[in-house]
Amino acid sequence: MATLVAPAIVRKKPTKPGAHDAHGHHELSFVQKYIFSQDHKRIGIQFMFSSLFFLLVGGGLAMIVRLELGWPGHAFKFLSFLPSTMVAGGVILPEFYNSAFTMHATFMIFFAVMPFLMGTFANFLIPLHIGAPDMAFPKINMLSFWFALVAGIIMFSSFFVKGGAAGGGWTNYPPLSDLSELSGVNVGQNLWIISLLISGVASLMGAVNYITTVVNMRCPGMSFFRMPLAIWAIFVTAILLLLAIPVLTSALVLLLFDRTVHTSFFIPSTILVAGQPLVGRSGGGQVLLWQHLFWFFGHPEVYIMILPAMGIASDILATFARKPIFGYKAMVFSICGIAVLGFFVWGHHMFQSGMNPLLGTTFMISTMLIAVPSAIKTFNWLGTLYGGNFKFTTAFLFAVGFVAMFVIGGLSGIFMASTPVDIFIHDTYFIVGHIHYVLFGGSIFAIFAGVYYWFPKMFGRMLNETLGKIHFWLVFLTFNGVFFPMHILGIGGMMRRIYDYTQYPHLSHFQGLNAFMSVCAFILGASTLLFLFNLFWSMFKGKPSGMNPWHANTLEWTLPSPPVHGNFSETPHVFRGPYEYSVPGHTEDYWPQNEPPEGWLERAQQMKATATHG
Amino acid sequence: MPDCALANLLKPLEAMIIHPSLRQLGYMLSLTLVVGLVGCGKKDSDEEDDSGGKSDAAATVATVDMTNGATIVGTVKLDGAAPVAKVINMGGDAYCGAAHKTSPVSDDHWVNNGGALVNAFVYVKDGLGGKTYAAPATAITLAQKGCTYEPHVFGIMVGQTMKVENDDQTLHNVHSVSAANESFNEGQPPGTPAKEHKMTKQEVMIPIKCDVHGWMNSYAGVLPHPFFAVTGADGKYEIKGVPAGDYTIECWHESTKSDAAGVTQDQKVTVAAKDSKTVDFTLKAQ
Repeated sequence: MATLVAPAIVRKKPTKPGAHDAHGHHELSFVQKYIFSQDHKRIGIQFMFSSLFFLLVGGGLAMIVRLELGWPGHAFKFLSFLPSTMVAGGVILPEFYNSAFTMHATFMIFFAVMPFLMGTFANFLIPLHIGAPDMAFPKINMLSFWFALVAGIIMFSSFFVKGGAAGGGWTNYPPLSDLSELSGVNVGQNLWIISLLISGVASLMGAVNYITTVVNMRCPGMSFFRMPLAIWAIFVTAILLLLAIPVLTSALVLLLFDRTVHTSFFIPSTILVAGQPLVGRSGGGQVLLWQHLFWFFGHPEVYIMILPAMGIASDILATFARKPIFGYKAMVFSICGIAVLGFFVWGHHMFQSGMNPLLGTTFMISTMLIAVPSAIKTFNWLGTLYGGNFKFTTAFLFAVGFVAMFVIGGLSGIFMASTPVDIFIHDTYFIVGHIHYVLFGGSIFAIFAGVYYWFPKMFGRMLNETLGKIHFWLVFLTFNGVFFPMHILGIGGMMRRIYDYTQYPHLSHFQGLNAFMSVCAFILGASTLLFLFNLFWSMFKGKPSGMNPWHANTLEWTLPSPPVHGNFSETPHVFRGPYEYSVPGHTEDYWPQNEPPEGWLERAQQMKATATHG
Repeated sequence: MPDCALANLLKPLEAMIIHPSLRQLGYMLSLTLVVGLVGCGKKDSDEEDDSGGKSDAAATVATVDMTNGATIVGTVKLDGAAPVAKVINMGGDAYCGAAHKTSPVSDDHWVNNGGALVNAFVYVKDGLGGKTYAAPATAITLAQKGCTYEPHVFGIMVGQTMKVENDDQTLHNVHSVSAANESFNEGQPPGTPAKEHKMTKQEVMIPIKCDVHGWMNSYAGVLPHPFFAVTGADGKYEIKGVPAGDYTIECWHESTKSDAAGVTQDQKVTVAAKDSKTVDFTLKAQ
């Protein structure tokens, strides 16, 4: 006889639409509903729009970088509208080029990809997927968004201060980031630090909220091993954030002290600036200290940006292959394995820092070990796809694209992880190609997949599939056109972050290839505008989506599109895992997680009646 | 008030926070504001008193009287064996390498026949009584030609414009390392307009380097008066229009260590109106 599981959370049914018991006793004002909203879905959408804005800023900066790399030193008259501190006579100035690639990465990593994955999707999906009315701490959730936005605005403002924005690369190694005498950037560098400190607070608030919500607010029947992989990935990523961000914060505070009160945490005694001894500093610090602290955060950061993408892709692949995820538990353990190992590999970014070769070998081995859980995931995705009854939606195409691109990014990572090979390709365009295959081909492909997949639930309308597919093919082809040749440039010795490689005879012949890559980049950038047009047009004019347009299993698809404030009118009860597709004997090829098994309702009513009468 | 964009940026944001439930956010942003103010770092040099680091704030602006002013001339010589001139290998940059028909030699320690020391900077160090002089409207040009700086050593007045030109078809990076003035560090691709800078404080000397081409260096002596000169190929200098008075004249020459401190020698001199005095210097070879 089936036993009823007591609900973990007992809630009253909302008395009126748009209200729920936690904070729904009154009608929400415009400000409460759309600006300082505490609704996880609204906050998720706020994160989406802010991330899209910063994605455009980061993308625009990438176009500047590609203009310079495609035609170094060329006078682009159409850029003359930019201030003379950025462009002189149409020529992109080296300082602006430095700021452009630094801020491109900064915006993409901290203000586009991270908040898209851990702001938009984490917020929108966690309560809906686990059957909760909202996040555990709605106010903290709201603060998290506003802190992130203020941080982004501060970062953006740094372009307009004297000396311009930070230009030492997104890693901002001292002494370049420490001494304005070296970089020529003073206030802009301080703003970079302050912005990331605030952004870190936002991330921590989000992480605490996600962990608490997942641990405490799962609906009855939603055991950990019935959670969708997207939630597993976000949950583990939140733990990573909680452990990694404080390390970055401490490094940033030390750097800020160095810059403002002239401590010397990262400044050695023997440093020379343009051949002159540095005055006004005690010295005695270590530039390598920053590298250790930064990469202790920085490598988990890579997984912070890829694990949620893996989870999103897993959900979408299963839905559109109409098959259960191959090896669900192995996928969960792989996520955990990648997260744990991610904290033991930071040294592979520092093979060229003069570290003890024995230590380098240790980091090489630990890095190679990450290939194991990564390969488990890849083979399981392939296993999921094998024999599937594919629905070639745009979301599915991007999810498949994610797998393909991630494999290339993962394989090129093995080259970097190998110390003898890294000596040759360190700080060349090989690493730029690698990281873009992981973070664009991986994370951003999954973000696009996620937007195409959950847009109907967010706005109640479908994105235009034709425009979506054009968008996919443009992105897929031009992405490879931009980033695959970077491996060739790297092997050829082209240094990353270089302003004018044609100054070097052994690199000048790469101009043609770089010009081709730049043209691909411009098409890639333009394709994003197509995506944005589709997004905004469909928001108002798209076909109504209905409750479950993809015939998917997870709980959000049992709710109206978009779900009301408070999500569930009654606490849902989960009976099975999220990937029960094409189950033999079941009439439909999907089986929602909360759909009771045959006879369950009758038995439940019988038990209720028994309990009432006797 | 420091030039802090962050402070201005956060004020309207604070003002926006009017909802009572958001008071906490307001407090946190205020904290951020404080951190931001601290983070604004040092005061920009160009906001500071530009009358010269060592001059009196109440200094009067004087004019140079070329008719009645005295002239100080002299020769700077090197005592001892001249250092061997360094041949510069510019082959690392194809453009620079092709810009010279013969192997270029460093300007650092250029000594002509008889020990005449070229590129020594001679100036009135003390005795003007805090007088300052208006900077001329004409700019001093620091050219980058054939991957060398021209001139190698020069004087410039506080507030006078320095134009840095790139006449080469290659990228240069002009990097000044200043103790009193605001340093600048900026790239200059070929074909871009000249960059202009103004020094706001007296400083002898400011080293200027190209970060792309390690052999390129120059020195600027910044003074609040026009009584300075640089020795020519014959080691001679001439300072005109000096008002009558007692002065300390200093001669500076870069040392073999190529640091800004250089090698200096001071001499006292008294001049009357329309006088012509000779002050020679002999610097010891290091």
